[in-house]
This record gives sequence, C-alpha cells and structure tokens, in this order.
Amino acid sequence: MTAYVPILLLFTVAFALAGVFFVLGGAIGPKNPTPEKMIPYECGSESTGARFVKPSVKFYLTAILFVVFDIEAVFIYPWAIQFRALGWTGFVTMGSFIALLVVGLVYVWKKGALEWEK
Amino acid sequence: MTRLMAISPLLVVALGGVLLMLAEAFSHRREEGDVRHTGPSSELALGTAVTLLAGAIMAAAVWMVGPEKLETLPGLAPYYVADRFTLFFTFTICLGGALAALLAGGYLPEHKLDRGEFYPLLTFGTVGAILLAAAGDLLSLFIALETMSLAVYALTGFRRTSPRSTEAAVKYFLLGSFAAVLLLYGGALLYGATGHTDLAGIRAAIMHPAAAKPANLALVLVAAALILCGLAFKVSAVPFHMWTPDAYEGAPTPATGYMAVAVKTAAFAMMLRVLVGGFGDGALASWAAGWPPVLALLAVVTMTGANLVAGRQESVKRMLAYSSIAHAGYVLVAVATIPRASEEAQASVMYYLLAYTVSTIGAFGALVLCGSRGAEAVSYEDLAGLGKRHPAVAIAFTLFLLSLTGVPPTAGFFGKWYVAKTTIGAGLYPLAIVLLLNSALAAYYYLRVLVYMYMRDPAPGAPIAKPMRSGYVVGALVIAGVLVLALGIWPTTPIELAVQAALTAR
Repeated sequence: MTAYVPILLLFTVAFALAGVFFVLGGAIGPKNPTPEKMIPYECGSESTGARFVKPSVKFYLTAILFVVFDIEAVFIYPWAIQFRALGWTGFVTMGSFIALLVVGLVYVWKKGALEWEK
Repeated sequence: MTRLMAISPLLVVALGGVLLMLAEAFSHRREEGDVRHTGPSSELALGTAVTLLAGAIMAAAVWMVGPEKLETLPGLAPYYVADRFTLFFTFTICLGGALAALLAGGYLPEHKLDRGEFYPLLTFGTVGAILLAAAGDLLSLFIALETMSLAVYALTGFRRTSPRSTEAAVKYFLLGSFAAVLLLYGGALLYGATGHTDLAGIRAAIMHPAAAKPANLALVLVAAALILCGLAFKVSAVPFHMWTPDAYEGAPTPATGYMAVAVKTAAFAMMLRVLVGGFGDGALASWAAGWPPVLALLAVVTMTGANLVAGRQESVKRMLAYSSIAHAGYVLVAVATIPRASEEAQASVMYYLLAYTVSTIGAFGALVLCGSRGAEAVSYEDLAGLGKRHPAVAIAFTLFLLSLTGVPPTAGFFGKWYVAKTTIGAGLYPLAIVLLLNSALAAYYYLRVLVYMYMRDPAPGAPIAKPMRSGYVVGALVIAGVLVLALGIWPTTPIELAVQAALTAR
C-alpha cells in the first residue's frame, strides 16, 4: 500500500490547489455582473430557445441500429481469426448469424428506418 | 439435421417469427378509413397462430419420439435443457401464444391498431418464453428473460397514442428491469459463492460443502433471497405485484391475455428450474431454514391480497388482472409443496398452468368479443343484460369464468383440486385450507360478472357495448372452450403427462 502514498499526495495537492483557486477567486476577484454576463455560456453566440429540447426519436433509432450492426463485428473478428480451427461448424454458425442480420437489415430498410427525411 | 430435432419446437417458432417479420415488412398497408375487418395484419394473425401451433405440435412430436433418445448438439446443455419438462412448458406457452394471436387478429383491426408489428413481437416473445422454460444455466436464463420481456414491454405500449398504454409500458419496463437486475445480482453472487452459473453445478456446490470449492453459505442465502425477489416480481406475487394491474389494464386486451398466460407460465417454469434445479436439496429446500416457508407465506399473501382487492374492482379487465395474481398465488402453493411431494407438486404446477392458460385466454377473449370499435367493454355495467342480447357470447364468458372459479367439470376445477390434493397429501393442511377459502372468496367477483350478464338490465340511456364480429376471436374461443371442457372431463392423461415431465426434469 505504501507504494500508493505519492499518488494520494498528488490527489490531495491537486484538490487542495483547485479549492484554493476557487475560494480565492470568489473572495478577492472583482464582480461586475451585467445581464449579458449572466446568461448561460453558449460558445459566445446568443442563446435562444428553451433549455430542454425534445431530441428526435430518429437519433435513438440510428444509435440503436448502429449498435446492432456494430456488435456483429465483435463476433466476426474472433471467428475470422480462428476460421480454420472452427471449420464447417463455425462457418455454418456464422453464416446463420449473418443471415439473421441481413434479414434485420432488409427489415429496417423496407420499414424506412434508414431514411433520415420522410 | 437429426441433432436439431431436440430443439425443433424452438427453431420452428423462431424461423416463423423471422418469416412473419419479413411478411409484415413487405405487406401493403391498408388504406386509412378502410372499414373491412380483414387486412394484411389479420392474415399475419393466422400465420402467427399457425407458427405457434406448429411449435406446440413439434413439442408433442418430440415428446412422442422421446427427448432422451435424441442426439443433441454438443454444448447445448445446460444452456438449453431438452427434456420433457421443457416440452410440456413449450406446449403450454405456444398454445397460449397462438390463442392470443388469434384474439389480436380480431381486436387490432377493430380498434384501429392494425399494425403488423404485433405478431413478430408476439412470436419473438414466445421464443424467449420457450428458452426461459428450457434454460438450465443462469446466463441463458437471463438472455431468455430479456428476450421475452423486451417483446412484451413493446406489446404493452402498442396503443402508442394512448397515454394510459404508454404509462403502463413505462411502468412495466422500469419495474421489470428492476426485477431483472435483482435476478442478475443474485446470479452474480451465486457465481461468486459456488463458481458455477449452471444450475446443476450450483446445486452440487451447495449440497456438498466438501466439494473442491465449498460454497459460502451466507453468500448463497443472500443470492437466493435476491433471486427469489426477482422471480416473485416476474410471476407477480404480492407484494411484488404493483405493476400488474396497470400494465394489464393499459395493454391491448390480446397482449394482456398473452402476458397473463404465456409470460406467467414461462416465469413459473423459470421458478421451478431455479428452485428445484438450483436450490433443490439440503438445508435450502427444508421447511426449517429454506425457501419453502417463504414461498408459502408469499402464496398466502398473494391469494388473499389479490382476491380481496379483485372484489373491489369496477373494471372487468382490472378484475381479471387481479384474478391472474390470485392464480399465481394458487400455483405458489403448489411450488411451496415441492420439497414434500416433489414430482406430484411439480406436475400439479404444470397441469394448473395449462388449465389456467386456456381459461384465462378464453376469459380475455370473451371480453374482447363483448366490445367493439370505440366501445371496449371494460366495466361490469357494459356487460349488463348480455345474456339476453347475445346469449352465445355470454355462455362462452360464463364457461371461462366458471373454470377460473373452479367449478366442475372444467379444467380450472381439476387444477385446483390437484393442487389441494397434493398440499393435503404433503401434510400442509393450513395452506390447503387457505387455498380453499380463497377459492370461495374468488367466486364472489367471478359470479358477479354472471349476475350482471344474466340478472341485470342496462341502465336506460347507458351506452351499450355491441359485440364485435370476428372469426378469429370466435375460433380462439371455440378452441379454448373445447380445451377447458376436455381438460376438465379427461384430466387423467394430461396429469400423467405432467408427472412424466416432472420425473425427467433435471
């Protein structure tokens, strides 16, 4: 455990320093608030609209589709590396897995989930 | 190919689901405002029913051949245990699913919910349910549970424009995920305590403390408690039932029926697998310091609580939801009896669930048939005078309610009789007495429907629910009605089959 003491020390110093800056800045810094200064910072441009925006469901759909079709790579890589060792059993198994994914792709395509604008 | 025979019921249903999904995507949508009762989605209903019945028939076929004789894929067990226990539950689940699909074939077009996604979802949910009954390993059990649950969450919220349906789906999703997390956490602790995820290995590690790696009993107990909570959530036992009435009421009625039969049956199959397969021996299954007294207490609270609340409901759909909780309580009585009367108690669970499946799906079907577009029959008042106006519908409803009450010669009577007989045979007289008292209590709210149908006239000026016309719903009711009577009049064969299934359960 003693090997970690320097790291603990580093954390302590880092947090203490941050705390000191924060407190000092609040205590002795000049304050001159104007309405423009009080609005939320948005990259320098003026903020518009409500704080809560309902994100379009399309984002979720795209994200889910990405995850679904991305996961297949996780399975295909190890199979490709062990291709010879797994033999025909592996080939048939992976073939049916990919066939199911193709069915899924056909489905979302036909349903129009891949079109951003409808 | 012969190696796939053992899992053919599952394969049939899964492939059918994929085909239905494609058929649904390529079918032409009906024009808005078209009032015909048959559209593409009704044909999908027939396709789903055929797929699921094919699954049930395959299960029966594999049963005839004998699953012990079949060569299976290497490494299939314990992830998929192809025994008679699985086949019996597969049959019950597929039957319930097929009847629910037929109900949907009439209900969805009538209530302008005519979107075909319902059927692939229902089929994939059934795939999950079958896997759940077959899972002999905590990993495949969890995957199966999620496959089933995700489909059912979507089915619950199928009426997208209705806030009530959406609320039901969200509530069900949140509480269902919570239950799944409890199960998962319990499973993780169990793995930590025993070093196994397969139920047989867990059982061996608990039974033989002198094994290579003795189990930490305190950890096992905590894990068992967590898993028991998760299971109780899934079978909706009081006090884990809070989501049930809302989810059942908000879902479209065929989906409610599906949840009440197929999902509950699969959850009980999972419960039997885990409790008997994983915690079946030693101190954990004793009445002194194990799960049986906990289950007995759950059963008593579930039966009594659900029956008391069911009597106060004004909505028939909600009453049926509480009735399904009460029936879960009756099944729990049989589960609690298992350590004293192993095979017979398991067989009584299986027979009860089969009887309950046909009676409940019939009752929900009759409720579907009583309503029509814009006027779903929900309250007792809606059913007033139905016996005079539409005698056939009323007779069907009566049959299913009598079966749920437990009146001979229906399936429900023999289910209850068999559970009570097993309980008395095991010497658990207080449990049997509570069971019988509760059956009497339940008769109040079932017979109340009959009183409204046959002895009351609708209040003048009240909107009268007009029964819908649908061949699919009528077909489902005829099948369910015949089975209710057949199971009640000739209960010996199904009970023998259930005993066989229980004997071979590993």
